[in-house]
Amino acid sequence: MFDNIISGFGLVFAVGPILGIIAGVIVGIIFGAIPGISAIMAIAMILPMTFYLGPIVGITILLAVYKAGIYGGSISAILLNTPGAAASFLTAQDGHALTKAGKAGKALDMSLFASVSGEMLATIVLILIAAPFSLISLQAGPIEKVFLLLFAFTIIGTMAGESIPRGLLSCCLGMLFSMVGMSSITGASRFTFGYTELMGGFTFTPMLIGILVMPEVFNVIRRRKDPQNKLTITRSPNPEDNRLSFKEFRAVFKTILKSSAIGTFVGALPGLGSSPAAFLAYSEAKRTAKKPEEYGKGSVEGIAAAESANNAVCGSSMIPMLTLSIPGDDVAALLMGAFLIHGLTPGPMIFFEHTQTIYAIFAGFLLTDLFLLVIARAGFKFFIKVASLRQYYIFPCVTAFAFTGAYTTGQNMDDIIVLIAFTIIGYGMRLVGLNPAVFIIGFILTPFFEQNLDQAMSIVGTDYWQLFTSPFSWVFIILSILSVISSVRMRKKPVGLPKGKTA
Amino acid sequence: MKNFKKALTVISTTLAVSLASSAVMAAYPNKPINVIVPWGAGGDSDLTTRIWAKAVEKDLGVPVVVINKSGGGGIIGTSYVARARKDGYTLINAGLSNMLVTPNFSKAPYSFDSFTPIVKMTSVPLGVIVAADSPYKTFPEFVANAKNNTITQGSWGASSSGTILAEIIAKESGYKPRYVNAKSSAESMVSLVGGHIDSAVAFPPAFGPHVAAGRARVLVMNKEMAEYPNVPTFADYGIKGSFEGWSGIFAPKGVPQEVIDRLTAATAKAMKDPEVIAQYKNIGATMDFRHGPEWIADMKTTYGIMKTAAAEAKK
Repeated sequence: MFDNIISGFGLVFAVGPILGIIAGVIVGIIFGAIPGISAIMAIAMILPMTFYLGPIVGITILLAVYKAGIYGGSISAILLNTPGAAASFLTAQDGHALTKAGKAGKALDMSLFASVSGEMLATIVLILIAAPFSLISLQAGPIEKVFLLLFAFTIIGTMAGESIPRGLLSCCLGMLFSMVGMSSITGASRFTFGYTELMGGFTFTPMLIGILVMPEVFNVIRRRKDPQNKLTITRSPNPEDNRLSFKEFRAVFKTILKSSAIGTFVGALPGLGSSPAAFLAYSEAKRTAKKPEEYGKGSVEGIAAAESANNAVCGSSMIPMLTLSIPGDDVAALLMGAFLIHGLTPGPMIFFEHTQTIYAIFAGFLLTDLFLLVIARAGFKFFIKVASLRQYYIFPCVTAFAFTGAYTTGQNMDDIIVLIAFTIIGYGMRLVGLNPAVFIIGFILTPFFEQNLDQAMSIVGTDYWQLFTSPFSWVFIILSILSVISSVRMRKKPVGLPKGKTA
Repeated sequence: MKNFKKALTVISTTLAVSLASSAVMAAYPNKPINVIVPWGAGGDSDLTTRIWAKAVEKDLGVPVVVINKSGGGGIIGTSYVARARKDGYTLINAGLSNMLVTPNFSKAPYSFDSFTPIVKMTSVPLGVIVAADSPYKTFPEFVANAKNNTITQGSWGASSSGTILAEIIAKESGYKPRYVNAKSSAESMVSLVGGHIDSAVAFPPAFGPHVAAGRARVLVMNKEMAEYPNVPTFADYGIKGSFEGWSGIFAPKGVPQEVIDRLTAATAKAMKDPEVIAQYKNIGATMDFRHGPEWIADMKTTYGIMKTAAAEAKK
């Protein structure tokens, strides 16, 4: 096996693959960083171009775009509080709080190191134990996933801020909005009121931008005359605040390991993807944290948890894809298409039939992580410079990107209407004290939960006890209970902390 | 010169046929063509269309751009094309699901008649699959058991093509499974090989790798395939109907004949390209190039069967 990996490196250390990786990383970071334009769009656009390249170059380019794209989302999330994709919206919570405190450099560093560590770990798992790992992941069927998602929902306790009832209400609203459109289970149209345009539900990207990004723009406009509100991001004069010290890295190293493991595991379960992974890791990290009250208000550890988990998914979603030919999420599905078109049929045989190619691709994975580290690190100064421009330069640009991003996702004018409607809803929610972040959690998790719950119910029929027969389910039932208890407990502690808004 | 003459003929015919038509056409195509895929990127339909688009581009000489307009069980993208200009620059990736099933089983603002079929590229036969360790070795054994016990069957959505076809098969054979609807057939195969469900309906791109790896078994299929020797067909068991998924290209109804001819000619050429043949083989699709009235009549027959099934389901 090790000679395979080494010969793989030999194949990747050539002009073609290296140039491909560099180009892929740069394209990925840019696409990921622009709010509203996601890695999957970049991959879909580049895919046909790779038809004419060899499989090693073609697939490493796509993977570089994917990994860098997922990472890139965290840059705009941290600097501008505009999560480019769902997976990086937790990062926006903590990262932007740090940016506001002048510690943008620290937040960017943390997210980069966490991302790369998460990806590396998942890639190593992929290379070493993909096959047995994928067989274990098969044991998690719909029933087990229901409980796993239930645990992911307990993150609400973390995100809800001061008021749990308001958090729950926000979550329910999110669940309600996620049900609009044609049910993928029964095919019935729900809450469409006869409009065909609503059959597909609310498109996610415009809704996310509308709820989270645009109300910020309005806030800035509203406070423009407020002398207290500085219009630029200040860089802290203390250089310690602009990078991550080794001590800090060591302090969160355990969280990174644990979150990467969670991300690797969730990524290997087909059908969940990076957002649930980030939620799970974040609530688990908070449950066991020494200072859980910092989460959501600028916790370095929070960034570490969310980023390492969502990037670990990049590597591990390849596990079921390559070994069982089951794409773990939508990006993996697209990549599987790329493998197929290049004549590499995913499945256990791929390791024997295309040994050289596959290990060269693996070597490309690891190399991508290194390039990502170097290229992104080199770009930080520039990114921070952009973000510290005066806000009257930034926010018009953010608005323009928000609208373009909303439109390009589906090339559909209706999405612009969705964006505007949710901007109003998002702003309104802030006015009445509802929590937009929790709303998004409800919106993201509900479709997964519903689909798996429906399948679980079909499987057990009327024998409901069967829901509780798997040890796997019990692990998550217990974790959910513990998580709820710890959120409630934390709230009972005398609150001497300054009240901070989570969003 | 030849092009100019062709253009002249086209212009005069267009004018003669309908003065109302404002589209004055220089030889079609003279600008990029958009093909809408009403599903997400990376699925079978998407890949089939992307390979086609890349292949006909060479012959047509203009970019053929694939756009994913997914959501609403394919209704969003499909109804968009139904309303699009009839100039041949907006086409739709048509298939069993968005053309034959959805208009009958869901409330869709379009029907099969809103489109002019142009070509069919590929088809895939539906199969009934069980896990390798399942006690059922043959389809009759499976049916005998399914008649007495409730078995679970994986599919992808209550009014999806999979469940509708599965329901016709079940009715013809006299059993009633409990459907477990995953998001995609790939996900449903995970539940099957993981031992969470008893059986599943799926197409070869989804079940092929599992069968090849010895994790799953095909009991019965729509059509014989060289990759699956000795697997009986539905017809062998007296089950009538066409249980195949297919992928084709349709245009909004009323598109000029010139467009149909041009695209058909380009596709015919592409379907002989060894590179295209290899790419389709790689994604597990069987090339099934068809066009013209006979093909359209076949689809209308299947449409009729679906209509009857939908009427019965509503009772």
